[in-house]
Amino acid sequence: MSHSVKIVMVEDDHGHAKLIEKNIRRANIANDIVHFDHGDAALDYLFSDEVRAHGPLLILLDLNLPDMSGTDILEKVKSDERLRRAPVVILTTTDDKIEIQRCYDLGCNVYITKPVDYEAFAGAIQQLGLFLSVMQAPEI
Amino acid sequence: MKRIRLALRTFGGFLRTPTLSRSIIALLALAILLLLAVNAATFVMIQRTSAYNDTVDHSQQVRLASKDVLSLLADAETGQRGFMLTARAEYLGVHRRAVAQLPAVLARLDGLIGDDKELKPRIARVQTLYRQRMALMDHTIDLTRTGRIGEAVSQIRSGHGKALMDAMRIELTAIDAVEARRLAERTRQSERASAVTVSVNALAALLILILAGISVWLVRRYVDEIESARMELDRLNAGLENQVRDRTAELTRANEEIQRFAYIVSHDLRAPLVNIMGYTSELEQVGKIFDHQLTTLAERHPEDIEPEAIRAVREDVPEAVGFIRASTAKMDRLINAILKLSREGRRALAPEVLPMTAVVQSIADSLHHQVVENGGEIVVRDLPTLESDRLSIEQIFGNLLDNAVKYQQPDRPIRIVVDGELTDDGRVHYRITDNGRGVSARDHERIFELFRRAGKQDQPGEGLGLAFVRNSVRRLGGVMELESALGQGSTFHLKFPTRLIVSGDAGDRL
Repeated sequence: MSHSVKIVMVEDDHGHAKLIEKNIRRANIANDIVHFDHGDAALDYLFSDEVRAHGPLLILLDLNLPDMSGTDILEKVKSDERLRRAPVVILTTTDDKIEIQRCYDLGCNVYITKPVDYEAFAGAIQQLGLFLSVMQAPEI
Repeated sequence: MKRIRLALRTFGGFLRTPTLSRSIIALLALAILLLLAVNAATFVMIQRTSAYNDTVDHSQQVRLASKDVLSLLADAETGQRGFMLTARAEYLGVHRRAVAQLPAVLARLDGLIGDDKELKPRIARVQTLYRQRMALMDHTIDLTRTGRIGEAVSQIRSGHGKALMDAMRIELTAIDAVEARRLAERTRQSERASAVTVSVNALAALLILILAGISVWLVRRYVDEIESARMELDRLNAGLENQVRDRTAELTRANEEIQRFAYIVSHDLRAPLVNIMGYTSELEQVGKIFDHQLTTLAERHPEDIEPEAIRAVREDVPEAVGFIRASTAKMDRLINAILKLSREGRRALAPEVLPMTAVVQSIADSLHHQVVENGGEIVVRDLPTLESDRLSIEQIFGNLLDNAVKYQQPDRPIRIVVDGELTDDGRVHYRITDNGRGVSARDHERIFELFRRAGKQDQPGEGLGLAFVRNSVRRLGGVMELESALGQGSTFHLKFPTRLIVSGDAGDRL
């Protein structure tokens, strides 16, 4: 992934956010990570002119946010003409089949369940890191 | 004897229960009694009238006969007088004809009067007077015939004959008067009796009309009551249907809420677990780094190392981490269990006809290895078929058979029997009977609760199986009962409707 791709992480749990960042860094991903713990703040940022004008970015999204559901953000991003090209990775504790289906229907690119077991969790995030390191993000 | 007692009891019950039919029957019985009374009265009246007619006839004949006697006597006298005045034989003929008829007429009168106490003395007197008068008349006729007319006239002049005649007339008139009085009396009686009969008939007719009126009124009232009860029933039924619909909707909503709750709870409980496990691992890493640092330090400056620090880093920290790990792992399993239950509750049911003998046999076969290991057996008898959700049924029987094998009594080979039949109320009843360790009575309810287990805790498990089974049985519209004694074995009773009816939105397709 080119160095200019910004990672936008929407995650209300600061512990999770830190663990995710740690493990992404362990996979040698050095891209900027912008963290939001509220849906509102994240939407404000994503739809600001600066971001819309200066892509490219990748969104890491948790589904259970205090002020809205992650699927609301996903829906808004994927129905926006410019932002919809940004890859969205859902990273959440839920492994409910309906929820997973719904996210893919709404256009998410990858859905990852956070394993409770930390080795598995760290492994999953590091694999995501490896994946990110080889993927191409489109210009927005 | 028994039948009589039964009849008496039935009658007693009939008397004690004031129902419409009882009232109607009582009214009809009364009406029939009245009719019978009227009949009897009429019959008596007819009898009386006929008797009256007979007596009237009798009286008339008595009167007629007594008049005949009088007139014949008068004829005889007339003939006698004519003969005495004229001495012509034709007057004697008149006299003789009358005299010839008289004994028969008198005998008739005597016969008619018979033993009548009032009239018998009079007729006896008439007979005596008649004989004297006849003798007197014969004597005067003989005197006239032999030319001793003067003697005959003086005989008549003596007035003896007239006195006899007058006495006889008095007696006969008295007889006539008695009969006339009797006739009047009987007519009066008859009139009174017929008046009584008419009034009895009228009264009875009136009463019957009233009874009929009451019956009609009762029936009308009863019909009205039935009608209003029917309308009330219709109204209630309609209300009930609405109520059932509302309640069902409420229940569905409540169920959905619970599922949602279980889902959210399990999800939200999971999020902190990720942190606990994650940072525990991070701490472990930190511990390893410290350990490494300590080892290096111990090589260079062993005198600076506190033995407590070594123990803390090498024993206390790994021990604490181990406990945290084990507990969080257990918590994760419990949360997964709740999730599984919640998910099973949301799965759409697909009823199909299940050949239960084959279904249960295949579950039994999958346990074959574990069962024969200890010389045990699973016997599957002929089971009635069931129209239900295959997956749920397989899970229910799988769990129960699995439990039976798992919790067997170690000192005897396990023997499990599965049998069943159709019940009278149109349900299917299956039994799973084992000779395992059993469940003590105080745990019969507890073992069905989530995360609760009973007896010796020597088998792995989360206390989830039976909670899950009961949940599934209920979803299929069935009930589940346990019959068990500790150390003896258990029987699980499963009762299902023969056909599972799934309403429109009974679950998600998970």
